Amino acid sequence: MTEPVIVFDQVTKFFGDLVAVSEVSFTIDRGVTALLGPNGAGKSTVMRMLCGLTPPSTGTVRVLGRDPRRDIDLTRQIGLVPQQDGVFEGQTALQFVSLAAILHGVDDPEAAARGALDLVEMPADDTRKVATYSKGMRQRVKIAQAIVHQPAVIILDEPLTGLDPRQRLHMVEMFHRLGDSGSCVVVSSHVLDEVERFGSRVLVIAQGRLAAEGDFREIRALMDDRPHRLRLRTDMPRELAGALLSAGTAMAVRIQGDDEVLIDTTDIAAFRRAVAPIARQTGAHLFELAGLDDDLESVFRYLVGRR
Amino acid sequence: MTSFLAIFRVVRSSVATKPRVIGLLALGAVAILLGFLIGIADPSDPVQAGGDLINVYGLVVFVPVVALVFASAALGDMAEDSTLVYIWLRPVPRETIALAAVAAAASVIVPVVVVPLAIAAFLTGGGGALVVGTVVAASVCAFAYTGIFVALGLRIRRALSWGIAYLLIWEGFVARAGSGAARLSVQSYGRSILTDAADIELNLADVAPVAAVVVPVMVAMAGVALTTWFLHRRDVA
Repeated sequence: MTEPVIVFDQVTKFFGDLVAVSEVSFTIDRGVTALLGPNGAGKSTVMRMLCGLTPPSTGTVRVLGRDPRRDIDLTRQIGLVPQQDGVFEGQTALQFVSLAAILHGVDDPEAAARGALDLVEMPADDTRKVATYSKGMRQRVKIAQAIVHQPAVIILDEPLTGLDPRQRLHMVEMFHRLGDSGSCVVVSSHVLDEVERFGSRVLVIAQGRLAAEGDFREIRALMDDRPHRLRLRTDMPRELAGALLSAGTAMAVRIQGDDEVLIDTTDIAAFRRAVAPIARQTGAHLFELAGLDDDLESVFRYLVGRR
Repeated sequence: MTSFLAIFRVVRSSVATKPRVIGLLALGAVAILLGFLIGIADPSDPVQAGGDLINVYGLVVFVPVVALVFASAALGDMAEDSTLVYIWLRPVPRETIALAAVAAAASVIVPVVVVPLAIAAFLTGGGGALVVGTVVAASVCAFAYTGIFVALGLRIRRALSWGIAYLLIWEGFVARAGSGAARLSVQSYGRSILTDAADIELNLADVAPVAAVVVPVMVAMAGVALTTWFLHRRDVA
């Protein structure tokens, strides 16, 4: 059995008193893996540790069996798209990507840079400085410099930021091609729908901890099956609350004010199907039905809490 | 060598921004103006008067300030705007990065300080020896400061403030306490070169000629070593 490309073993990272990553363990193999989590969850810290940009406070990080913090030669095998927008603004796209190729010791740096820019659909002969580029164009140039030396491990921190829908689609296809060709591609995002397109393997990071990992569909099911809280406005709150409880679609109800019912349910889909017929049977009018915890943050909180 | 040159070019172009170069050339113009004024004042000892100008304005103010502004930006700006990663995350030895950064900063700093000071020395009427002494002293001090301030810029966020504090407190105050303390100041080596070359009298300028050149170069190399160490140790954004 071959060793995983990336091994995170009981990794914790402190920044002063702040615990950015707490006792995280996982392995990543070749192919595309998505790192999902809200902003500030610790995804970027995980990615920085993967590249050796910052060492773990405790635990071990191994990439291709080597320590990315100490082994400078390992950087030949790593391509990183950092989250930060900064690039060498006085350079053209070709100069910027060629610089990466030169420093990686690529045989024909200019040809490699032209090839990488072509892959991200950027014109290599554009004479404008990168400083004048839009965020999306900069992002594509950053991706080009990360793949110009054909690394075995490609780390992309929120790579689709600033790209239009067509470019996003193109990039996702490219990441899959790279993954299919044997590279280990790790992509982070805080957007659930985006992650769905990246691939089946997902690591969910929240509050610095590994909240869930596995196939995307399993993670999605976990998220959908969690207890949901909804607010329902009606002219007959008591009657409707009683009917919902009797029907078994609500786990708990609470009357709030003259016209509000707070409802807890574990099966959101069944509840949404049942609520209108039950209201009709009860003779109640429905004014509003709103989810109170549909944001991704609360989903992540739930996932962290259940581990 | 290819990596060294590539990093040298990137650092040089990021350091030598127009506002910086124009601002610091203006300081150089002040040196030239002062040299011209001394020249037309026709002092009784133009060599000593010229030497005093190069010492007080050139070595104490102009050279360290120019070196601080350019050298602290060499890797400091990259650390600040998160572009350091594009040099750091490459299979390039850290000492190559440090050496290229110091060389790139020095390649901007030396001409910016040496040319105006040499013109100023010439305009004072102090003669060829003063001009040669000025060129050597300014170059040697610029190298030493470059090494120190490249490391400082990489290590500390507000490197300009800390650098000015160092210049005022250490070089301007502590190192003037006596000849022993002066040996720990870059300026004293420049002053010693100037006094030897132009045969003038300056305070706290008693370092032997060879040491006056060798020690600042060693300080610059120590700066390279320190920068290399910081590159190994620091977190990169």
